[in-house]
Amino acid sequence: MMDRVIELLDVWKAYDGVQALRGLNLEVYKGEIFGLLGPNGAGKTTTIKIIVGLLKMDRGSVRVNNFDIFEEPYGYKKFIGYVPESVSLPDYLTLEEFLIYSGKIRGVPNEQIRERMNHYINLFELTDKRRALILSLSRGMRQKIAIAAALIHDPDILILDEPFIGIDPAGQHMIKEIFNERVKDGKTIFISTHMLDTAERLCNRVAIIHNGQNVASGDLKNLQQLSEVGENATLEEVFLKLTEEAKEPIIEETAERKRRGFLGLIGRKI
Amino acid sequence: MSSNIILDIYKLKIKVFFGSFRASKTSLALLAIYALGFLPSVFGFSLMITSAVKQENANIDLYVENLAAVISGFISVILLLALRGCTAYEYEQSLIFTSPVTPRKFLFASLFADLTESLPFTHPIFVLFGATVYSLGIEPPSTLMMFFLIIFFIFMLLFLKISLSILNSLYKRLWLKAMMLVFVILSLLPALAGFSTGFPLRYSLLPHPSTFLSRFLINIVYSKSSQLMDIIGLLSYFIFSLALFMFVSGKNFFQHVTYIPFVSPFDTSMRVQTLKMERTIKTFSRTGMVFTLNIESKSLLGFLMKKEMLRMLRDGSLFSVAFFYIIMTVVMSFTSISGRQGAEVPIYAFFIFFISTYSLIVPLMLVSNWRFSEFENIWIPLTSCLDPRLISKALLYDFMLIASLVPAVVVLILSVIFSISPLLPLVLISSTSIVGSSTNLYLMIKFFGKKRRSTPSFLIGWASMLLSGLLLIPTYVLTILSTYLKLNDAINAFISIPLLIYSIFIMRYFLKKTGENIINIEV
Repeated sequence: MMDRVIELLDVWKAYDGVQALRGLNLEVYKGEIFGLLGPNGAGKTTTIKIIVGLLKMDRGSVRVNNFDIFEEPYGYKKFIGYVPESVSLPDYLTLEEFLIYSGKIRGVPNEQIRERMNHYINLFELTDKRRALILSLSRGMRQKIAIAAALIHDPDILILDEPFIGIDPAGQHMIKEIFNERVKDGKTIFISTHMLDTAERLCNRVAIIHNGQNVASGDLKNLQQLSEVGENATLEEVFLKLTEEAKEPIIEETAERKRRGFLGLIGRKI
Repeated sequence: MSSNIILDIYKLKIKVFFGSFRASKTSLALLAIYALGFLPSVFGFSLMITSAVKQENANIDLYVENLAAVISGFISVILLLALRGCTAYEYEQSLIFTSPVTPRKFLFASLFADLTESLPFTHPIFVLFGATVYSLGIEPPSTLMMFFLIIFFIFMLLFLKISLSILNSLYKRLWLKAMMLVFVILSLLPALAGFSTGFPLRYSLLPHPSTFLSRFLINIVYSKSSQLMDIIGLLSYFIFSLALFMFVSGKNFFQHVTYIPFVSPFDTSMRVQTLKMERTIKTFSRTGMVFTLNIESKSLLGFLMKKEMLRMLRDGSLFSVAFFYIIMTVVMSFTSISGRQGAEVPIYAFFIFFISTYSLIVPLMLVSNWRFSEFENIWIPLTSCLDPRLISKALLYDFMLIASLVPAVVVLILSVIFSISPLLPLVLISSTSIVGSSTNLYLMIKFFGKKRRSTPSFLIGWASMLLSGLLLIPTYVLTILSTYLKLNDAINAFISIPLLIYSIFIMRYFLKKTGENIINIEV
């Protein structure tokens, strides 16, 4: 039995009356690269934000490294590193200052901050930019800095929302290498992406979510069987088949909502 | 068809402009507080005007001069706004300028939109008009005439503003800008007569639009028949501005417009905040690079405080505070000079007044700048294992330190120059910075989360100032009493202790509340 490092059970979340998650269940195991896939508005970013503590769920339970994040909202965060979809960094700090700040607020000892900071600055080829203000750096460089900051405390779980956007092919290759290295060391990578070909090659397992529900999860073989698209089908074909199928209950639900009125469905588990 | 397009553009512009108010009921409530907040001073001002008008030996010529000076002030503001050329929001560029809408239709829609958009902010003028007309018992036909005259004048100003902005954008001629500046100076020059009776230039001697309007209005108030010259004068200016407007609206100025990367002035989106801060960081970061964030800090609170200090240094917050107090020092020096020349001007009272006003604004400036800088960066500490309450503590300590330390230095210098006891001003500064920083930070963080973040900063600032002002009533009352009773330093020291204890109590309360809010922020 593999160790579960992230576990979501019946998670619900609504924004201004719009149901973003509808009883989402998800399991991520130790030492894997896990991909969260889904069409626009499926609830990927909401799921990630709940896991990292930027959003509060309305109902359900989330466990990260055996911490119930509702019971212990801070302790578990020392085991996670996070990179958001749109990276915003303090423009007024230099690259070096930002990494020091990131390390300090995560309780990393000074020596380790220095060591890891130098390592990632060299790795991402940002040596000549270490004393430059973040303001002056390109979008790709900012993304690399955000990844370096998420790794400064050597977290067990790295959570990234669309990590490859704005990064050049060489940078993408380097990041994938980092992911593979970390997985070898027993760390976990959790990514959300629209890039299905990348997910197919990179991820050990994926979950496809649609309208706030987990439509299917597993490795490519499992998904091929589940979607019945054939054993040579690509992840893209599987994804399209499963998300198309997942639309049907929603259409039925919309019809039911019309019949019963919107209030009749609030909080109902579908 | 044509009027439909104008109406559609008008509706779009209004919806976009007031978008942030539509996004949350809180914004609307704050806007209502903001609007109502002006009423006491408007009614007070109306009473002042009424009593001046009803005076038996009223100097009508002087009133015409004063009103003309005020109207000239409005004209000058309009001309100065036109100096930057024609501006358009990004959505206007992508939606309207790429459609078959003609510049004239766009300008007509903009004209009515400008008028509507200004109403929530210029309403005190109309309230003042209504209150004054009512208390003076002016007949309805005369009231209507005055009202339409004001509207007529506002249209004239808008025609001028739009036309001159477009001319500036189209021709980009230095002489045009110079001419407008000269007109602004000439418009304001006769106002100097109010300060010196020997000044030869008077509005009544000039064929200025403000002279015609003020004379027309004051003649109505005093039930005198209007002079034909004033009517012809006003009409000529109106026809001129309308003709200019029609002329420029026939030009295709769309390619010459300067784009504003906002959706509306109240746009609080990440991109806009970043753009706004980028400029100031570029300016101030050079000086701020002398200091760096040191890894060796032992206490995390100290480290966070240093980081915020560095931000304030590099995003210009510290400079703004210092600049603010430089202005105060200059004003104080002038006040002192005029006090020595004439009658005994209570310098100490001025001193106290300026400090109490400034030290209430400074925390708001600091907290607002923090909001602009850190609006989108808050995810960084919130996804770390750091207790967010430590961030609010570090922020508050920094704000209190800056809001009290900078003015304290100024006060000490001024007290030496003017031989004034610094005790009470220092207590006043400490109290206002403690209470002001804690209430401002509390409200700003309350409006930081996903649900309320669309609330415009200026409305949050307004509510914060109001709350701080109310909580500082004990401080103000004791300070005023002490100033007028001319209490000595020993008694002042005695009353300062409960004041400071009270301020610290307020600070502790709001720090706790801020902590509760920061841990519940959703981004």
